[in-house]
Amino acid sequence: QNSKVSVKVENGTLSEIFNKIEEQSEYRFFYQNEQIRDVERKSIDVNNKNILELVSDLLGSTDLTYKIVDRNIIIFPSSVKNNIDNAFQQQKSISGKVTDSSGGSLPGVSVVIKGTTTGTITDANGNYSLSNIPANATLQFSFVGMKTQEIVAESKTSINVMLVEEAFGIDEVVAVGYGTLKRSDLTGSVASVSSMNLKKGVVFSTEQLLQGKVSGLSVIQSSGDPTSTASLRLRGGTSLSASNGPLVVVDGISGVDFNTIQPSEIISIDVLKDASACAIYGSRGANGVIIVTTNSTHKGKTVKYDGYYAMGKVAKNVDLLSASQWRKYVKDNNSVGAVDYGGDTDWQKSIQQTSVVKSQTVSFSNNGEDGGSRVSLNYLNNKGAIITSGLERIGASLSGHQYALNKKLRLEAGIHSTFDKKNEINVGILNTIDFSIFQRAFNLNPTIPIRNANGEFSNISGVSYENPVEILTNRTSDNSQQRMFGYGKVELEIIKGLKGVINASYEYNSIQNRLYIPTYAVIIGQTDNGRADRSLTDFSNKQLESYLTYDIKFNGENKLNVLAGYSYLDHTYEGFGAQRRSFDTDAFSYNNLGSGQDIRATDVSSFKGRSNLISFYGRANYNYNNKYLATASLRKDGSSRFGANNKWGLFPSASLAWRISEESFMKNYSGWLDNLKLRAGYGITGNQDGIGEYKSLSLIGAGGAPYYDAETSSWKQSYGIIQNDNPDLKWESTAQLNFGIDFSVFKFINGSFEIYSKKTSNLLYTYEVPQPPYLYGTILANVGDLSNKGVELTLNANLLKKTHLSWNATLTLSHNVQKIEKLSNQTYQTDAIYSGSLHGLPGMSGQYAQVIKEGYAVGTFWGPKSIGLDKDGAIMYANNGIAQDLGNAQPKYNVGLSTDLNYKRFDFQIATYGMFGQKVLNATNMVLSDPNRMPLNNVTNSSLTSGITSNASFSSQWIEDASFLRLQNVTLGYTIDTEKIGIEKCRIYFTGENLFVLTKYSGIDPEVNIDGLDHPGMDVYNYYPKTRTISIGVNLSF
Amino acid sequence: VEYGKTPEEIKTIVGNAYASLRGFNDGITISYPTGEYVFFLNEIASEEACIATKVGGGWYDGGVYLEAQKHTWTPANRMILASWRYCFEGVSKVNSVIFQVEESNLSEEQKKAINVELRGIRAYYYYQLLDMFGNVPIVTDYKNAELPANSSRKQVFEFVESELKDIVNELPSATIYARFTQNVANALLGRLYLNAEVFTGTPRWQDCINACKKVTNYILEPNYFTNFLIQNEVSKENIFMIPYDSKSGTTGNYLQSMCVQEYQKFAISRTGNYPGSPNGLLSQPGLYSSFDNNDVRKKSLLEGKQINLSTGKVILLDDGTELNYTEAIGDINAANANEGVRMYKYEVKDGEGWERDHDWVLIRYSEILLMQAECYIRLGNSELARPFVQQIRSRAGLSTPATLDLNFINNELKFEFVYEGHRRTDNIRFGDYFRPWWNKGVTSAYRGIFPIPQSVLEKNKNLIQNPGY
Repeated sequence: QNSKVSVKVENGTLSEIFNKIEEQSEYRFFYQNEQIRDVERKSIDVNNKNILELVSDLLGSTDLTYKIVDRNIIIFPSSVKNNIDNAFQQQKSISGKVTDSSGGSLPGVSVVIKGTTTGTITDANGNYSLSNIPANATLQFSFVGMKTQEIVAESKTSINVMLVEEAFGIDEVVAVGYGTLKRSDLTGSVASVSSMNLKKGVVFSTEQLLQGKVSGLSVIQSSGDPTSTASLRLRGGTSLSASNGPLVVVDGISGVDFNTIQPSEIISIDVLKDASACAIYGSRGANGVIIVTTNSTHKGKTVKYDGYYAMGKVAKNVDLLSASQWRKYVKDNNSVGAVDYGGDTDWQKSIQQTSVVKSQTVSFSNNGEDGGSRVSLNYLNNKGAIITSGLERIGASLSGHQYALNKKLRLEAGIHSTFDKKNEINVGILNTIDFSIFQRAFNLNPTIPIRNANGEFSNISGVSYENPVEILTNRTSDNSQQRMFGYGKVELEIIKGLKGVINASYEYNSIQNRLYIPTYAVIIGQTDNGRADRSLTDFSNKQLESYLTYDIKFNGENKLNVLAGYSYLDHTYEGFGAQRRSFDTDAFSYNNLGSGQDIRATDVSSFKGRSNLISFYGRANYNYNNKYLATASLRKDGSSRFGANNKWGLFPSASLAWRISEESFMKNYSGWLDNLKLRAGYGITGNQDGIGEYKSLSLIGAGGAPYYDAETSSWKQSYGIIQNDNPDLKWESTAQLNFGIDFSVFKFINGSFEIYSKKTSNLLYTYEVPQPPYLYGTILANVGDLSNKGVELTLNANLLKKTHLSWNATLTLSHNVQKIEKLSNQTYQTDAIYSGSLHGLPGMSGQYAQVIKEGYAVGTFWGPKSIGLDKDGAIMYANNGIAQDLGNAQPKYNVGLSTDLNYKRFDFQIATYGMFGQKVLNATNMVLSDPNRMPLNNVTNSSLTSGITSNASFSSQWIEDASFLRLQNVTLGYTIDTEKIGIEKCRIYFTGENLFVLTKYSGIDPEVNIDGLDHPGMDVYNYYPKTRTISIGVNLSF
Repeated sequence: VEYGKTPEEIKTIVGNAYASLRGFNDGITISYPTGEYVFFLNEIASEEACIATKVGGGWYDGGVYLEAQKHTWTPANRMILASWRYCFEGVSKVNSVIFQVEESNLSEEQKKAINVELRGIRAYYYYQLLDMFGNVPIVTDYKNAELPANSSRKQVFEFVESELKDIVNELPSATIYARFTQNVANALLGRLYLNAEVFTGTPRWQDCINACKKVTNYILEPNYFTNFLIQNEVSKENIFMIPYDSKSGTTGNYLQSMCVQEYQKFAISRTGNYPGSPNGLLSQPGLYSSFDNNDVRKKSLLEGKQINLSTGKVILLDDGTELNYTEAIGDINAANANEGVRMYKYEVKDGEGWERDHDWVLIRYSEILLMQAECYIRLGNSELARPFVQQIRSRAGLSTPATLDLNFINNELKFEFVYEGHRRTDNIRFGDYFRPWWNKGVTSAYRGIFPIPQSVLEKNKNLIQNPGY
């Protein structure tokens, strides 16, 4: 607890001063407004002063006094101490004691006979007494910050009351898009995560902060590559090919790259889940909306430093034969032609190293009455667990705000930027070259040494024999990415209740790739005699958001908030690239393309594209007596990406909520039921991410089609129509019905339960179409329906709340069932789309592992079912090997469980998450367990005893249950007492990440890629393994 | 911006119609006329070639090649889809170019000159459809988006014939490299008439001879392999070809790259500077030995032990065995890396890339000669056939036998055009196709054409499957 504050107030009321103190500390003030109303205004200017001393000073000249109960400061008149004696002399009286939920007495509580002005307040010990009470009287106990209680007097002479704080959480402010609402006023489904609860420790990507924190939101970090980002999926995903990631809105600007924002800058993240919450984002809202609020207005002066150092190792490798095991096999089996190269190499380990992550963040903020500013800087160096790979990032944020016109005008501007330097293991620019590092490490004979006797990389010829250490070492691949996002915001209170907001922003994101493959590099380098390659691609978003909001109260109990707005988005992307081959020297690396001698037409390229989105939107929130709430919204989007016949889309929503616990008939349950709200909402949202620019048009382009011009005996570029046009092209449309219950019980548990049904129609997919009449075999079209139905549960529990010991826990649980309802329409007919390509695996060119088919979920494995081995060890199949449903790659249940324990100066957190019921194709094992690979290529140890003699071939044999529970994070922290030396806070902590995974899955990691909904759950033997990491860190503030 | 109004812009658009001949790989099918689906389909279905599954399962790929070898393909076979899509994407592209030329600002005269060339390319695609699929829809209007129905094989034949006859005199009479000229149209008419009996039931031998006679200004190159050099544009024998230049960005011409075992590179280059070769297409047993040892064309095939240029010793494979291409293939389901004689027809040299620069030969003058020879024999006048045959035989270093009969001409076509994609058509015309051969039983008559691909039928309910499938 922060017991010191710095407060400066000029001519402020007591309650204004109390508010300031609350902002800086965990203390809360309780008082009756009437009792402090008459205290004269004061000016104070204190620096780092003890709160209790400050409060004593403030009350010194008044007839008020205070009492501390836990973290509550209760203000009450000094005179109430004396009331008691008088009260006991009255006849027909009721007396009693008022306490808080922890049993502490509450002084200053107002006790009134309902419907009258007769009443009293409790004394310093929480006692009260009232006389001359009518038989049918109802006593009303009220106190700011506590739930009011009413109790019928009847014939009682003693009534003891326990008041409880307003259910925790319900007064929290929630971002809902173009504004905020108190959680108690919400009608839609919104989950909130504060910075306290975000993932701690090493994060590769900002997305990862949310892992396991929001029920219904899957965050898949399938790779240990520090340059990778995680994928997000809310409520099962709604699209086959378009993006399934939620729309990210940062400080009011939509579509921002999540990784532009440093984790340290985020104060809260709100996840809009149902259509009634998301429909205000129209054609971009179908996959949910994530609203990020960054740190800009924390009051006071703060200087903070956060740093950590982490070390990690690859958590698990495939169990392949070692050199000695290989030699034993060769000897035992008398293998013909096995070549022993004399070495002893663990090829998987040969490309691995200890990963080291270093991060330092410094921030300054200074916020006062009239304005403030904040600066923060971050440096991150993440040396990956695979040699030569890594990420170096510099992040910087700067923001400031200022009030003017008597606080009616607020101006704000800010800039967030990150600069990344990446070393990736797959290289390439014009075309990514996948050097299949992991595949090669799996393949190689363990008797081949990494380097030969001369110290050169050993290089046994053969496609599957390239030395992965040589590949990683001998190529230079430096990519850099710059992300920048700046905005300026003006808020003006035009008249009381009417506010206008204009928010203009510019986002710029560029990627520069640099590659040099020297003349001595075995693959490409030697054949091309050196290759250098550079490119720059970027995009920019110019956006304007402008809206008016108006708050009206009428007839006392009615509150209405209306919003009307307009937004404009201009998205432009462009780029160019160049490469050259054949260099006389490797000295220039990629810095002198002109010195390459080999000139090819296809070695330079450039492009540019642009799209616009224009939107009009409106919303109304209506609140009757804080019991009945209604919201309706409407958005109209016009996009240049849509086809000529469908330029504008309309996205409506409506929702209702009923705070049952506010009803008088619920008072009987108030002993255990603190809050209960029912919500229902329906809305339509869209997804237009899958439509690239110009996809509806019949475009003329080069499409890689040079022709020989006999007249000039030269090659020229030809141009032709390069895609089928589709003037009907439009957004995917998702209609969603959501019911929710918010509850808070037994003073320490709150939570939400959601049930939803989504139906996505006009699915965007690149459908195969008949040739003729279509020019090309595919068209991007809106065909088919997909449904997702599910339930979600979120529970928060404050299990212990003592002065020196507190313990809370959060559980998120979700279940989703997906089904393809339809895949054809009048124009386009498809029985099944095959996906999950196995192309590139031995003997599996043109083969697929999955099907997208009516009646099944996306990610359904489809192939022969294996039923054991025949006497020769060949895999036998049911139904003559006819393909059938082999299970699905999407998890049935997602679970997140985290807990925080604080004891005196120690803090301890555990976070876990898991997925259950999903299948994964272990193609790694499928290939590496083929005994026919021996002795040329390595195999798994288990393949020697499996009895299988068949060549690698896809079937249920290789599909496994990939349910898992991951211990994602364990942190132990200790806050050192440093106040005496002028450091406000000094905490050191130790974190262990990815310490273990409970799973029956036999592969390296059960959490595999879900990117591209059309082929999730494929463990295809060439991906970057995850690490197990230990870190130490420090948080300082001054 | 509207593109395609000026003569300069139209030239680049017409170039696109020619570029379409190189085919495409769009992720659905690999539809290169030179590649592992379109070219292989016709080769494997003939007596010439096969793709055996390798030890370890390589080249099994769902059994598509074994089906083609055994003539047991189903409409779901992706090689068949790849071939269909190659032809129809070409047809549609040409139609789109015809449309764009019509929309341009060119004069009617200029439009007409371009139009006839484009229709020639389209007729070339339709000839292939006629040969492979028979009963296909005839589509000529780019703007018509209706799902078309089949035309009969006879109607398709008549369409190709009338198109070619209609344009032949309007086409350029000069020999222009890789352009659709009068010579190309006449050569294609020759092919059409040569196979007219298969296509329609009515033989047109004399029409074939007449068309061939109109092909002028070509000679037989003294060296057979001049036609297959990397710089084969010097050939005065090649009549129609698909030009390639990898530095200009052409793709798909990698057939020669993928026929040999990977370590063959040490027999080609001292440093092994030759692209990794997936060891795919093999010659069927019996092909190699059917060649006369003195036949220069036998060098189109690679057989025997391969010598490492730097050591002078036989190249060893990873398992220690010698790289020795054998005519015998032990097990079509589990062939060893060295089994099967290889195609080695196009020039191979040190430093080649995966994508080759030799132009892909579609029609050579020797075909004009042998078509006439065959027709004369079929018309019962083998002496008139003799001068044509003699030219071919003497270039091959062989004498001409006393008796020229159909059996002779059948074999001569095999030797002359080995691995040029002719053999399936020839096998059908001579009837061998329906008789058993290596790893193939008797073939039913309906398999003389391929089925309409399953996925095309599913999407276009107006199409009717070819009979028998």
